[in-house]
Amino acid sequence: MKLSKINRNSLVILALFVSTASVSQDSVAKTPVLKLLYFSSDNKIPSLHVQTKWKAGKKYQPAKGISVTVYLDSATTALALSNKIITDESGEAVVIMPPSLKTKWEASAKHKFIAEVTGSKEFDGLSAETEITKAKLELDTTTDGETKTVSTIVTALQNGKWTPIKGVEMKIGVKRLGSDLKIGDDDTYTTDSLGKVSAQFKRDSLPGDEKGNLVLVAKVEENEQFGNLVVEKTVPWGAKLKIENTFNQRSLFATRNKTPGWLLFMAYLIIGIVWGTLIYLINRLIKIKKLGKISG
Amino acid sequence: MENSTVLTNEQITQDLLPQKFGKRGMIWTAILIVICCIGAIAYIKQLRKGLVVTNMGDYVSWGIYISNFVFFVAISLVGSLITAIFRLAKVPWRTPLTRISEIIAVSAITFAGLIIIVDMGRPERLLNLLLHGRLQSPIAWDVIVIGTYFCISLFLLYITLLPDISVLIKAKDKLGKPFSKLYCWLASYWKGTEAQEKIRDRAITILCIIIIPVAFCIHTVTSWLFATTYRPGWDSTNFGAYFVSGAFLVGAGGVVVAMYIFRKVYNLEKYITDKHFDKMARILVLLALLYLYFNVNEYLVPAFKMKKPEAEHLRTLFAGDFAPIFWFAILVGMIIPIIILINKKGRRPLPMFIAGVMVVVGAWFKRYLIVTPTLLHPFLPMYDAPESYHHYFPSWEEWAIAMGSLAGMLLIITFFVRIFPIISIYKTITDQNETVENK
Repeated sequence: MKLSKINRNSLVILALFVSTASVSQDSVAKTPVLKLLYFSSDNKIPSLHVQTKWKAGKKYQPAKGISVTVYLDSATTALALSNKIITDESGEAVVIMPPSLKTKWEASAKHKFIAEVTGSKEFDGLSAETEITKAKLELDTTTDGETKTVSTIVTALQNGKWTPIKGVEMKIGVKRLGSDLKIGDDDTYTTDSLGKVSAQFKRDSLPGDEKGNLVLVAKVEENEQFGNLVVEKTVPWGAKLKIENTFNQRSLFATRNKTPGWLLFMAYLIIGIVWGTLIYLINRLIKIKKLGKISG
Repeated sequence: MENSTVLTNEQITQDLLPQKFGKRGMIWTAILIVICCIGAIAYIKQLRKGLVVTNMGDYVSWGIYISNFVFFVAISLVGSLITAIFRLAKVPWRTPLTRISEIIAVSAITFAGLIIIVDMGRPERLLNLLLHGRLQSPIAWDVIVIGTYFCISLFLLYITLLPDISVLIKAKDKLGKPFSKLYCWLASYWKGTEAQEKIRDRAITILCIIIIPVAFCIHTVTSWLFATTYRPGWDSTNFGAYFVSGAFLVGAGGVVVAMYIFRKVYNLEKYITDKHFDKMARILVLLALLYLYFNVNEYLVPAFKMKKPEAEHLRTLFAGDFAPIFWFAILVGMIIPIIILINKKGRRPLPMFIAGVMVVVGAWFKRYLIVTPTLLHPFLPMYDAPESYHHYFPSWEEWAIAMGSLAGMLLIITFFVRIFPIISIYKTITDQNETVENK
């Protein structure tokens, strides 16, 4: 009796737990998220990357087709970087600083960017801001015999001068197909009091392009003060890539007039032996016929 | 021929001369002709409308036609087994079985070639294969080797027939006129002189020697049509040996069935004896065990590794949609015949006939299983494909053509038996004379 009561209670608790879990799973609210990132690539024209996402629990899902307007310093039409930009399937959109805002951009060392969503039911009214100080990331290389060194310097515009900045964390790597390959043992490097980083290149015989060129890349990622800075440099430090084009050579997958020699030899040898024997036997049959006529 | 019975040459000739069809023979022939005609009608429809009349599609592009092709190629191997291997091994009891196996080989390889043309959809393009084919392609090898095997088999059949046709020419009075012109055209020059006999004997030996590697080639190359394709179920280094062993089995099964029928219909008990059935039963058990061994290799190794695409393919075979056919082919095509034939009672003619039929039917389904399930399991998922593409069941046109081709093969054998002796008269007499002399 007591045991059955315990069992019944256990079942009730289990049922409650299952139903609560399923309800809580179903009722996870989706929150719209808007993110704005500043990018400076090779110290040239800056760009702003917009990301729109749905946050469901701990998961993020891209939100596509959201129209966003990005402004410089103030959310007025005159300071908009462009008309509305629409996020793609991965929930991202990019806008480049237009020439019309050049004077405004150059007038100050610090700027604020504002992103505002319009015309989207779920995201409407959502905005995001990011403030940056203009900064440069420069990359240089030196070669001393077998030793190859990569040097970078981070400078920021302070009081009208480009001043070296200490304590900026960055990554230095070699561009590969999927991602960047670090050049040495360290994952990241931090600038010294002169704003410099010096790292030894330890990737000997890394395959480059046909001329042996590799693309070095230094990145400051999502820095609170400077945003994202990226600089690249092509250096002839890789192994030359030799592309052997076998398209026009004799091979098993080539066209009929490019049959491999060994296959031709073997095939014709076998065919020759078998059909040669057959022709010989036909000759013997003719001989039998002649013998029959003579004896007949 | 029974060792205890000594027959006169006249008696042997009388017994083994081709006979007119009786009532049963006429019905049998009529049925075969009707099936062939239905197949021909279906083929004409296919020619007019294209391969759209079949249920083949983007995925199952090789259906029942190719299964049939592999079956025909397999059964044709028997010509080299009984004629060539037995002759070279000097197997003394081979004589009554030799011509049966030769005609099975010729008729099967004829329809193997024809069914491939049927599968092409556009037969006039066969010439393109010869004019523009790539020697690198196993398909080109198959065309070459099938053509060669057909020629050798036909040559072997013809040259072994020469003395018998001479007998038939002499027996014109008994046989009547219908085929006398044909006999004269084929072998009027054969006088049976010592010089002719010597050349013929040597030619047969040479043919027996070259037919064995060519027969192995035809089955190996046919297996390579599959094995050189990287697909679950075909990606195997075992395929050549697997095909050759399977071909030996179905060929021997086919001969056993034919032995029983000819013995029964033409009262050949004195020539195709219980001893022949017993010997063939032992060979059949050996071949079934060999093929079973290759089957274990073929399925156990990928099943042990269970790579995902292979696993899905094997699951379908072992426990999925194809499981009934798979287990039917394994049990009926191999295991049950072995069980029947390892018993002495099972090696009698009737149980042997049943076992032979089981082997042949099982072998046909086995070929179907080699072709179709693999095509239904491509490496890339069948995404956004119509539901009908996920399954394959032949259309009536495919069935009609396939059955028509099988009937055509049997019709060749039937007409051959009507025109020529199914057991060599000349060799039977020679064998008996030698036996008597030795005594």
